[in-house]
Amino acid sequence: MAEKITINPVTRISGFMEIDADIEDQSVVAAKTKGLMFRGFEKMLQGRSPFDAVYFTQRICGICSTAHSMASALALEEALNIVPSEQGRYLRDLLHACEFLQNHLRHFYQFTLPDFVKLPEDYPLFKTDHNDYRLPKDINDKMVNDYFESLRFSREAHQMLATLGGKVPHNHGIFIGGITSPVSADKIISIKSILYNIGQFIVEKMLPDVYTIGTFYPEYYQFGGGYGNLLSYGSFNNYKNLGTLYVDPLVYSNGQTSPFDPALITQEDEYAWFNENDEPDRNKAKAYSWIKAPRYNNIPYEVGPLARQWLSGEYRNGISAMDRTIARVLEAKKIVEIMQTLIDNLVPGVSMQKEYEIPVQSSGKGLVDTTRGALGHWLYIDNSEIAFYQIITPSAWNLSTQTNGMKGTGEQALIGSPVRDVTAPVEIGRIIRSFDPCVSCATHVFLSGKHVNTIQVV
Amino acid sequence: MKSLDCVSFQCPYQESRLKTTESLINRVKDEIAKDVRQKRNLVWLELNGCSGNTISLLDGQNPDFMYLLTQMTNMIYSNSLMNSGGNTAMNQLFDVIGSDYILAVEGAVSLKDNGSYNVIGRHNGREITGYEAVKRLGEQAAHVIAVGACASHGGVSAARPNPTQCVGIQDVLQRKVIKLTGCPCHPDWFMGTLAYLLLYGEPPLDNRDRPLMFYSITIHDRCPRRSYFDSGIFATKLGQETCMYMMGCKGPVTQIDCPIRQWNGHVNWPVGNDSPCIGCAQFGFPDAMEPFITYDTMRGE
Repeated sequence: MAEKITINPVTRISGFMEIDADIEDQSVVAAKTKGLMFRGFEKMLQGRSPFDAVYFTQRICGICSTAHSMASALALEEALNIVPSEQGRYLRDLLHACEFLQNHLRHFYQFTLPDFVKLPEDYPLFKTDHNDYRLPKDINDKMVNDYFESLRFSREAHQMLATLGGKVPHNHGIFIGGITSPVSADKIISIKSILYNIGQFIVEKMLPDVYTIGTFYPEYYQFGGGYGNLLSYGSFNNYKNLGTLYVDPLVYSNGQTSPFDPALITQEDEYAWFNENDEPDRNKAKAYSWIKAPRYNNIPYEVGPLARQWLSGEYRNGISAMDRTIARVLEAKKIVEIMQTLIDNLVPGVSMQKEYEIPVQSSGKGLVDTTRGALGHWLYIDNSEIAFYQIITPSAWNLSTQTNGMKGTGEQALIGSPVRDVTAPVEIGRIIRSFDPCVSCATHVFLSGKHVNTIQVV
Repeated sequence: MKSLDCVSFQCPYQESRLKTTESLINRVKDEIAKDVRQKRNLVWLELNGCSGNTISLLDGQNPDFMYLLTQMTNMIYSNSLMNSGGNTAMNQLFDVIGSDYILAVEGAVSLKDNGSYNVIGRHNGREITGYEAVKRLGEQAAHVIAVGACASHGGVSAARPNPTQCVGIQDVLQRKVIKLTGCPCHPDWFMGTLAYLLLYGEPPLDNRDRPLMFYSITIHDRCPRRSYFDSGIFATKLGQETCMYMMGCKGPVTQIDCPIRQWNGHVNWPVGNDSPCIGCAQFGFPDAMEPFITYDTMRGE
């Protein structure tokens, strides 16, 4: 007889989430991941000016706002038939890279570390609900220091972003054509010096810290893997002169790597709270989450740092909860290197902006890999207004509901994992946090067609 | 009498405004250290929003988040940052009722279907909506601070057609709510308001309950590009170093100190980045502030 456990809220993620799991013989035999907030951005965007999508869609998510400005700018460029200059791409991608660093630093230190490192319980925020802390005191103390020291570096990652983007969260830099403001030599050197310090911290503190956790919690290399299907829309790739600095659009399944084809993306809502007209319906009988079920070639895929590290060939140790966390930290180091290359290729004073005109009718898509994985914006313009807008976020891929008899990626990753104590199921939080869930992002969908590729993109 | 070497040729008014947050915070710290003042409990409640005010809080410096956590307050609850989860976390949240605490809220209250579009946890088996949580905690708190646009007036969460019937927290609370409009709220606006509460109680507020120390003067009145406006020199595209009024800048209607405070370590701000202010710190954002960007520079003529 299975014992049922429920965790709600799953804290140290962005947004609200519940996990239900059935435990038999100290092992997870069934699991549901549930996104518990909904706002309906696609509906709100209808009738607004297409130009406003860049700033409006950022408000989907406070921790990855820059990602949405990237995807919406790309979708608008396709719709307006604008090709950004390479300088525009370098600068825009630099802003985006700053967001990667902010996210990875905060996810590792503020969200992941407290699962494994005992923080000082004098502070109520750090009171804990389990006892599985294994680090010797001196190592634990060092990691507590690193938790606090990291705050400076994640903050400074955003300071770099604001230097080029005005402010953050919700930047004013990324736009059609690149970024708004030409870069200057003083800004370049300011970013370079901050980046140098962040790079030192990642190499000297963050990498050793993650491997230390792996050493003391080695069984997490053995579970939390799930299907092992990996997908990326491409990241820091396809520059005219620099080529691909990270990873091209690829998918990996059954041991085979193949090129990514956007026409194979679909999205279902069999178990999500939407009725047959795609209107939200919290009372739908078999539904259990606001998160729909994006699929590629009809099967669930994992997206994010491990997918990118694997597809680029940078890291192929394994697919597990611990590998996912290590891949995120390795990626932080990689992003610093990419940023250094982009900075070295900047030319100060180059203007990127024009007076743009909105066509009466057009459509576009913006597919880009962001911190948590593959992010897509699709839009249709009619009467020079937004007539349709659809967003599929990385966390929708990773935390999707089941459909066609197949569990979502995160759900599958939980199945088979041990739970030693059902009153303190620490394993479940550790596994699900390895995906860096962002429920604020994942659950705003309103108007999805069953098939994303029904939008004709010329 | 002050000696002459104290005389500065900088405008003392602007200088003192920028220092407000830091000086208030330092006094809180000193008094706590000297046991003149007890640390008070702080509950940070996230509702239907993007958690961007938590991220903005983490972006603060002097004071930073560590200082808030270790020196200024006993932080009791934050969905994004706390260790415990599940029922333990919910106990931690609701056990604070009955004691002295300050409540900070980010995100809007979703009213649709009894609040079920925003469930923030499960307490003893029962779903807790954001609506229920803010009602229970809000009425009992010593002070309530709405942090950011969504908590202050619904913000983007309530953008038309407002699919989940979002409202600001004032609409569901029969009490004074201090409103820190902004998308997100600048960390200094929150920290400075909190420090004022800790030291002196409620700060002087405008007629819609925003602290005057941050919200009294429009962006337009302190804009470094004001001379371009006065001379009629207007930008026609982004990236130009002139006045963006004709491109939709909302500086003339937005009362906030961005031009002198700036963001993220005080390094930049939207107008400084050659893009228009979109009025995110003013009531009515976003619907009343659109279009954010327009190239129709002859509008209104």
